[in-house]
Amino acid sequence: MEIFPALFSVITDPTLLFAIVLAAAVGMIVGATPGLTASAAIAMLLPITFYMPPLFALAFLYVIGKSGRYGGSVAAILFNTPGTAASAATQIDGYPLARAGKAGKAMKVATISSVIGDLMGDIMLVVGVGFIAAIALKLGPPETFAIYFAAFVVIGSVIGKSIVKGLASALLGILVAMVGLDPISSEERYTFGSFDLSNGIGLVPLMIGVFVLGEVFSQLEERKKAKGDIKENESDPTGHTLTYEEYKPCIPHAVRGGFIGAGIGVLPGLGSAIAAFISYGEGKRRAKNSEQWGKGALEGVAAPEAANNAVSGPSMAPLLTLGIPGSTIGAILLGVFLIHGIQVGPTLFLTDKELVYQLFACGMLGILAYGIIGYFGATQVARLILKVPVNVLYPLIFMTAFVASYSARGSMFDVTVMTIAGFVGWLMRKYDFNVAAFVISFVLAKGAEETFRQSLLMSDGGALIFVERPIAAAFLLLGLAAMGFRIRSILKERQVADGGLGDA
Amino acid sequence: MQNMAEGIGLAILALLAIWGAWQVPGASPGDTWAGIVPFAASLALLVLSGVMIATAARANATGPIDHSQSESGTLDILVLFAVALIYQQSFRWFGYVLSTAIVAPVVMYIFGARSWVGLAASVVVCPLVFHILFFVLLGVFPPYGEVFDLLDWLRE
Repeated sequence: MEIFPALFSVITDPTLLFAIVLAAAVGMIVGATPGLTASAAIAMLLPITFYMPPLFALAFLYVIGKSGRYGGSVAAILFNTPGTAASAATQIDGYPLARAGKAGKAMKVATISSVIGDLMGDIMLVVGVGFIAAIALKLGPPETFAIYFAAFVVIGSVIGKSIVKGLASALLGILVAMVGLDPISSEERYTFGSFDLSNGIGLVPLMIGVFVLGEVFSQLEERKKAKGDIKENESDPTGHTLTYEEYKPCIPHAVRGGFIGAGIGVLPGLGSAIAAFISYGEGKRRAKNSEQWGKGALEGVAAPEAANNAVSGPSMAPLLTLGIPGSTIGAILLGVFLIHGIQVGPTLFLTDKELVYQLFACGMLGILAYGIIGYFGATQVARLILKVPVNVLYPLIFMTAFVASYSARGSMFDVTVMTIAGFVGWLMRKYDFNVAAFVISFVLAKGAEETFRQSLLMSDGGALIFVERPIAAAFLLLGLAAMGFRIRSILKERQVADGGLGDA
Repeated sequence: MQNMAEGIGLAILALLAIWGAWQVPGASPGDTWAGIVPFAASLALLVLSGVMIATAARANATGPIDHSQSESGTLDILVLFAVALIYQQSFRWFGYVLSTAIVAPVVMYIFGARSWVGLAASVVVCPLVFHILFFVLLGVFPPYGEVFDLLDWLRE
């Protein structure tokens, strides 16, 4: 019920409404620009939001994240270049539709399905988040540490091609977070006598480095490999409109995708790409016209798009209730909360309940905003993106990374950290390490350490406390089970690949 | 070969991290050791690097070496990284305006811009726009150049 007064207070604030619409447009443009991600845009804009009120800052970045997820479909359908990993699933049917002169129709299906999925995710978040927070309030340090442990393992092992590299990325993130003074005993760790290092590595410069500068490096490399210009696929006169009769078969796929996305979104680290591909696979399995999927079925656009966007809302649940970000965007938003002096976790619903529900309300209005902009203006956005010269865009992003990382704290050390983090981010991408696991683990490490050491104090140094308490043991097992399933699926994939080669 | 190199690199990092964690003084009575998490994490990293090395050694012994990883563009990245390092250091020496005026056309050139008018315009437009946006509108205090500060000189 708290959502209705929150919606009313947001609707009656014209400045906030303007920020939501602006964020929806920015997110869509960023998501649709091949090579740019919503994470990069949010990291770059993060220092600017220091000067905004907390709700304004959070709503602005949150809506950019939502709209950015949707924007990926524009690039996937119109340019055959997925703007995000998740929109690669949309590309499977979106691009054949565009080639058949139905780009406008495919875009409209993507827009409506994204709005349906995203709204479903947000409604489930609003309904369920209070319940999760109430449970979270009852958890002690051992249970919370077990949840952190499960998050590390899931994030490290489930995303990416290699479990070993994923887990190594997560461990590197933890080690970087350990630099500085120990918050409990004030002992120095990995400082090597440097005063700057004793303050620790800042979240903002690290994120700007990894997501913005690292992306600029990657784009420079991609440009050397790329052949030819990106061209827009235009619609023929009948391919631009969408009737209710045409969308009707897509509705069950969009609704199912919404549930799949929302379910996956609650689990930290799994993300939109997994949700979109599961929803596509499940949709194809159940479809009456499954032979059409992959050749240009509108339902093949609806299913992954709904799931992709439905992840957005529920991924906020572990962040807000436990302080565990489920995605890179969540990790950045955690930084915004901390910068504005707001402690996330179960107590957030006691101290800043109004702010949380107003943020949810902003998210819902943001969905409507990008829905309207996308439905009527996706093609115009695509044309605008094609007009921006890449050899100007990326140098501008390069320079923004430096000034943005400086302006966060007015610290030159932060600029150095950002520069090094950018290079490390590029190296990690190049050698298939997991950047998302690195950053999320960096954010989680401090909280995990605190709960781990509190648990050890509770048990006089005995590690059995994590096994003796059933909820803690369950979460430890959950993490290990997730890793076990991932190893099994990789082995299965290898067997199939070996079999395929053997047959050939 | 590449996987082996990655494994060895990771092992060196892990050993350095273990050494770093070992430097943390012991816990006072009734407290936990501040180095416990860094030590555990670096030990786990060492184990993972061992797995990587073992997997790479087995792959080298049984299969062909993978040369698929393209090295194209790496030199450009290294050049851009060097520019980035010089740029961030030049903030300290020459302040923001002069550093950006020099770096803007260089980076645009690296990204393929060849219009001399455009490159010349970037010398003025980039520092001006960023200065107005961040240091005037947002009120951030600009970094002061220790050797020479163009902004300071212009103000005088």
